[in-house]
Amino acid sequence: MKLKAALGVTVALTLALPAVAQERGGTLNFARYDGSRLIDPIYADRNPDIWMVGSLFDTLLRSSADGNSVEPGLAEQFSVSDDGKTVSLTLREGLQFADGSPMSGADVVFSLDRARNPDLSPWAGLLGSIDTVSADGTAVTISLKSPDPTILSMLATFNTAIVSKAVFEAAAGDTDQDKSAAIFASTSAGVGSGPFYLCGFEQGASMDFCANENYWRMGADGKPLPYLGGVHFEIIPDDATRILSLQAGEVDAAEFIPFSRVAELQADPNIDMQLYPSTRIIYSPINTRDTRADGSPNPLADARVRQALNYGTNKEALIGLVLHGAGQPMSSPLMAKATQYAADMSPLYAYDMEKAKGLMSEAGFADGTQVTFTTLAGSADDATIFAALQQMWAPLGIDLVVEQVDNATRGAKNRSGEFDIHTYGWVNDVNDPSQVVGWLGHTPTAKAVGTGWENAEFNTLFDEAASEMDADARKAKFARMQELYAEAAPLLFMYETPFAVALGSAVEGYVQTPLGNNVFDEATVSR
Amino acid sequence: MSDATFNNSMKSATFLQRALRKPGFVAGCVIIGFSVLLALFPAAFAPYDPNAIDYLAVKQPPSWAHPFGTDLLGRDSLSRVIWAYQVNMQMAIFGTVFALVTGITVGALVGYYRGVADLIFGRIVDAVITFPFLVLVIAVVAVLGPGLINMYIAISVVYWVYYARLMRAEVIAQMGNDYASAGVVMGYSDKRIIFRHLLPNAITPVIVYWMTDMALVILLGSSLGYLGLGAQPPQAEWGVLIAEGRNFISTAWWLSLMPGIAIVLTGLGFSLLGDGLADLLRPRG
Amino acid sequence: MSSLSYIAKRLLMMVPTFLLVMIIIFFLVRLLPGDPAIAMAGDRASDADIQAIRERLGLTEPILVQFWLFLSNTLQGDLGRSILMRSDVIDVIAERLPITLFLTVYSVVLSLLIAGPLAFVAALNRGRWPDAAIRTVFQIGLSMPVFYIGLVLLTFLAAQMRLFPVGGYGDSFTERLYHLFLPSVTVALYTSAIVMRNLRSAIVEVLDAEYVQFARAKGLPPRLILGRHVLRNALISTVTLLGLSIGNLMSGTLVTETVFAVPGMGRLMLEAIFARDYPLIQGLTLTFAVLVSVVFLMTDLFQSRLDPRMRLQ
Repeated sequence: MKLKAALGVTVALTLALPAVAQERGGTLNFARYDGSRLIDPIYADRNPDIWMVGSLFDTLLRSSADGNSVEPGLAEQFSVSDDGKTVSLTLREGLQFADGSPMSGADVVFSLDRARNPDLSPWAGLLGSIDTVSADGTAVTISLKSPDPTILSMLATFNTAIVSKAVFEAAAGDTDQDKSAAIFASTSAGVGSGPFYLCGFEQGASMDFCANENYWRMGADGKPLPYLGGVHFEIIPDDATRILSLQAGEVDAAEFIPFSRVAELQADPNIDMQLYPSTRIIYSPINTRDTRADGSPNPLADARVRQALNYGTNKEALIGLVLHGAGQPMSSPLMAKATQYAADMSPLYAYDMEKAKGLMSEAGFADGTQVTFTTLAGSADDATIFAALQQMWAPLGIDLVVEQVDNATRGAKNRSGEFDIHTYGWVNDVNDPSQVVGWLGHTPTAKAVGTGWENAEFNTLFDEAASEMDADARKAKFARMQELYAEAAPLLFMYETPFAVALGSAVEGYVQTPLGNNVFDEATVSR
Repeated sequence: MSDATFNNSMKSATFLQRALRKPGFVAGCVIIGFSVLLALFPAAFAPYDPNAIDYLAVKQPPSWAHPFGTDLLGRDSLSRVIWAYQVNMQMAIFGTVFALVTGITVGALVGYYRGVADLIFGRIVDAVITFPFLVLVIAVVAVLGPGLINMYIAISVVYWVYYARLMRAEVIAQMGNDYASAGVVMGYSDKRIIFRHLLPNAITPVIVYWMTDMALVILLGSSLGYLGLGAQPPQAEWGVLIAEGRNFISTAWWLSLMPGIAIVLTGLGFSLLGDGLADLLRPRG
Repeated sequence: MSSLSYIAKRLLMMVPTFLLVMIIIFFLVRLLPGDPAIAMAGDRASDADIQAIRERLGLTEPILVQFWLFLSNTLQGDLGRSILMRSDVIDVIAERLPITLFLTVYSVVLSLLIAGPLAFVAALNRGRWPDAAIRTVFQIGLSMPVFYIGLVLLTFLAAQMRLFPVGGYGDSFTERLYHLFLPSVTVALYTSAIVMRNLRSAIVEVLDAEYVQFARAKGLPPRLILGRHVLRNALISTVTLLGLSIGNLMSGTLVTETVFAVPGMGRLMLEAIFARDYPLIQGLTLTFAVLVSVVFLMTDLFQSRLDPRMRLQ
C-alpha cells in the first residue's frame, strides 16, 4: 500500500512540471545486511548484487509501477512484429554513459550478446529465444527463433542492462570476467548508463555511488535525475547493530529489519518504517520421491500426507510468531500475489486439523514417524518456524526433528534430494511468472525446486506457455498449473513477506521494488 | 610413602577441615552442587513445560505467573533457563572430559618417554594451536552435522592438546624430583612409576585448569549456539536464549538477562571451585 | 645456544607444522558438504552449469593433483585466487589483516591497562573484600558472551549516550583508536579477566616466595620489592600467557567483527567458509598459522631475555 502511495506522489510530481523547489544534492547513508561483490548485469547472481544493478546500468525498457507491463527506458519506442518473432526498438537521442561518451546501438548489441552467451552469463537461459541482435544507429532489431511472450519483460530485467562496449574492450584482462572485475575495481564512471556510477568500493565494508550527471531521466524540477549527490553504503551484517546505527543517526536508512522489531520502530517518531510490497514468498520444499536419498521409504511421497501437512499448519499463527503480523499467507501456490497471472486461491489450505488428521489416516501414516526439517543455522526465523511446526504437527503423528545447516549445505542437499523438508524463499527477478513457475514446478528446470515432483501435464503446460503469445491463453495455462500444483502440494505453502526498510526522517522517495531492486533515482535527503 | 592408603585417609580428613574454612571454595561447591541438581531434575524445579508455545502470550514481562517473563513464542523463560541447565552442565562435562582423559594420558606418556614420540607430539601441538580454533570447530560441525555430540567431538579434537601440554610439562618437572629417579633406580615398572608416582603429583594443575575450562566451554558452547552450531531447537541453551533476546535489549531486557545470570553464576561457581582446589592441593611446606 | 641459531632451529621446526596445517585445512574444507561451484552458481543454476564451474576451478582434477598444486603454488608465494572476492587471496588478506591486527593489539593493550593495576590491588589484599569484589567483576566479564556484551555496549555507550560510533573503523590512526574502542573493550573484557587471574596468582606466588619474605624482613620498602621482584616475574608470566592465547584472541575476533561490523579477517573467514571459497580459507588459515607461530617465537625470545633462567633450547 505504501509503495503505491509513494509512486502516486512521484507521478503527481512528474506531472506538475516544472515544480518549485526540489531538494537536491547530499549523500544518503544506507546500511546493508550484506555487501555487493561484483555489480555487472550478467555476473550479478546474488541478491545484494542483482538489486543494485539498476542503479548503475539502465535497461532498454522499464517495468511499469504495477509490474504488469513495460514502459520505454533507454529505448523510447518498441514494437513486436505480428508473428512475434521480431522486436524493433529505437534508442533515445543523445544517450550518454556516465562519463559523457555517447551510447549507440553497437553498445546494445554488445550487451545483449554478452547477456545471452551461455558461456558467460548464468542468466543466458532467460534469453534463449533470441536468434540475432543487430543495430543501425539508434535502431535495434532483435530476431527471435520462436515467439517469446516474456521478451519485453526480459528487456526490462537487470541482466539485459546496457554496458559500454568501448570500456569493455579497453579493459585489462583476458576473459570477459576478468575485464568486468577490472572495470568494477577501477570504480570510475564510464561503463554504466544508470542514474549513478560506482565511485568507491571497499570489499566487505562499504561502497559509494555518485550521481551520473548525464542521466537521461528528468526530475520534477526539469533537471536530470538523480536528486542525490550520491549514496554511501555501509555493510552491517548484524541486525541489531544495523538498527542501532540508524537510531544513532550514523546512517539514514537500514534494510532487512527483522519483523520482530517493526512495531517498535513504527512507534519511533524519528523513524519512517516502510514495508514495501514484494514478490518474496517463504515456503518449504517437501521431498516427493518414493524413497529418501538413503533408500528408505519416504513417508512424504504420498500427496495426501503433504496435503495434511499444509492443512495442519496454522499459517496465521506462524505469521504472528515470525512476522509479527507483517505478512500474509500465500494465496497462489506458485507465486506471490503481486506476480502477473497469480491466481487467488485463498485461503490456500486453510488451517483444518480434522481434515489433516483424516488425510493422514487415509494415507496410513504411521504414528510417531520421524521427519527431518532442515533449517538455516543461526536464523532466528527458521528456529521459530521449526519450534512452531514441531508443536503443530505433533497431533498428526509426526516426530519433527531439526537439522541446522549453512546455506551451501542446504543448496547441496536440495540438489541431491537428501532432505525431507527444508526452509526456502524466493523473490522474482523478472516481471513475469515463468521464472518462478519454472523454478518451483517444472521438473527439467530444477527438479521442481529439488522436490523431485514430476507431473507431465504441468511440464507440457509450462513448455507451451513459453511460446504462447495470446495473453488470455497464457493466463489460462498458468491457472491450470497453479491448480495442479496446489493439489499435489510439493511444498509447504507458507507466506509472503514485504521488504522491511527503516528510513530516517530526512529521507524521502526511496523505493524498494517488488523484485527487490533498491531504487535511489528519486530519493532525497534533507540535512 | 610405604602405605598409600593410610596417607590418603589422613590427608582427606584434614583436607575436608581445610576446605570448610575457605568461604570461596564452599560457595563454589554450593553453586555447582545446586546447578547439578537443577541439571539432573529440571522437571522438579521448572514450573512449566519449557517447549509449550503460547501464541497469545509472547514477550510478556516478568509477573507472578512467569517470574522471568515469556519468550518470543510465549514459552516460560524461567522454565527454559532451568531446562538449559541440563544442556549447559552437560556441555561443561562432556565438552572437557574426553580432552582431559586423552590429554592426561598422552601428556604423561610423552613426558615420561620423550624421544621421537615427543618430537611428533610437539609438531601436532603446534599445528593444532596455530590452527584457527573456531574454523576447526565450524568445519568439524559442518562435516559431521550440528548437534551437541558433534560439538563435543569438535571441541575435544582441539582441547586435548592443551591438557596434554600441561601434563607433559608437569611430568617432566616431576621427573626431576628425587622420588622419580629413585623409582627408576629401584627397578619399578614404567607403568608403576607413571601411575603411582608421577600422575598423582602432576595432576593437580591439570585438575585446576579443568575447572576453569568447564566455564570456558559453556561460553564457547553459547557462541556456537549463537551461530546455530551447538544445541538444536527447541532445546533451551543459555547462549541461544541470550541470542534470542539480543534484538530486545531495550524493549524486553528479561529475555537475555536471566540466562545471562545463569551463565555468570555457573562460571563463578567453577572458578571458585578451581581457585579453592588450587589452594587446597598446593603442596604445603 | 646463540639466539640466532635458536631462531633458525625454531623456523626449521615450523616447516612440518605448516605442512600439517596445510594438509588438515586442505582436506577438511573438501569434506564440507557443498562446494564452491554450488555456492558460487547459486541455487538456481543447472547441474551442467555447476559442472562447468567445477572444471573451470580445477575441482575435477584428482584430489592429490589439486593438493600438489596448492602446495607448490604456496611455496612460490601464490595463494591462488579467491572465488568469492574475485581477486588474489594475497590482496584480500593484505586488506583485512591490518584491521584484525589492530583490533587484537588494541585489545591486548586495553586488557593490560585494565587487569594490571587491579591484579596488584587484588593480590595485595588477598582474601579480603577488594580481592573478592575484583575477582567477581572479572568473572562476569569472563562469562558474558561477546555477541551480547558487545551489543549492550553499543546500545548504551554508542546509540544512547553517543560517546562512540556504532559502525565504521576509521581511516587515520587516531580515528581508528576511537572507532575500534568498543570492539576492543569487548574483547578486552574477556582477555583481561584471564590476565587478571594469572597476574594475581603470579604476584601472590612471588609475595610468598622466600626471597621476597627475606627482603621484607630486611625492611626494604614494599614499593621497591614490588618493582624489583614482582613486576618482572609477573611480566614474564603475563607475556607467556598472552603469547599462548594469541590464537584464541584472533579467533575470538570472528564474532566481535560481525557484531561491530568491522571488516576484518575473522568475518572474512566466516564468509569464506559459507561460500566454500577453498583458496581463501586455505590462505587465511595459513596466514593465521604463520602469525601465531611468529608470536610464539617472539614470546619465547622475550622470555629468555627477561628471565636468565629460561635458557633457549
